[in-house]
Amino acid sequence: MKSKNHIITENAHSKAGLAIINSKAPYGSYYGKDALDIALIFGSYEQKVSLFFQGDGVYQLIAGQDGSLLTMKDYLKTFAAFEFYDIEHVYICQQSLHIRQLCPSFHIADVKILDIADFNEVLNQHQHVLRF
Amino acid sequence: MNTLAVVITTPPYSPLTVSAVSYVEAALESGIELIGVFFYQDGAMHANDQINIASDEYQAIQHWQRLHKRYEIPLHVCATAAEKRGISLHESTDEVVNESFIVSGLGELVELASKASRLVQF
Repeated sequence: MKSKNHIITENAHSKAGLAIINSKAPYGSYYGKDALDIALIFGSYEQKVSLFFQGDGVYQLIAGQDGSLLTMKDYLKTFAAFEFYDIEHVYICQQSLHIRQLCPSFHIADVKILDIADFNEVLNQHQHVLRF
Repeated sequence: MNTLAVVITTPPYSPLTVSAVSYVEAALESGIELIGVFFYQDGAMHANDQINIASDEYQAIQHWQRLHKRYEIPLHVCATAAEKRGISLHESTDEVVNESFIVSGLGELVELASKASRLVQF
């Protein structure tokens, strides 16, 4: 417990980068696309940006979707380019997956599943937070 | 010196705008340096000169213009977000982007986030 507190205190002094919380399902609105545009521009300016998916936002990561069936621009396909934009940190809330009975099968690799406590802790390590 | 940047993603008729304007004004009055306000998503509608909100409702757009005149705070509106909401950005007689606003891109948001010690979204 002591060591964990120590880690949190240390992180508080080194807050950096932008965290983007995605909390909306992908096809009912363009919140996810608007958040993605911000992530890509921060990535291309070599600014640290991390993506957090919680609530209905977790649906944006679930594998086997095809937005083009809805005659929408399938912005989820662009997630595959995260590596190119140096977006390395993608976190998903375990409880949000569990509540929706979703399998942890994602359409991009390197998604880290975190429980609520760790999700909050990692989020808190960022200097800025935007929510979509 | 504490520097603040504000991101507005809600429309002028949202009650959140009241909080945003009050927050910004309180920050300015207490000597915090506001380096800019960035209007994104439905927030871009604050730059639309044609929006008419009933006189007994909160006049968000007028309040932004007042703050801009008094404190010279930069009001940036995202060009893509504005255009898809019918806000014409081109030089013409039917121009509807309010003169208090600077037409910007998301690069401006990167700039604000890198300079501000705190970024707050409404």
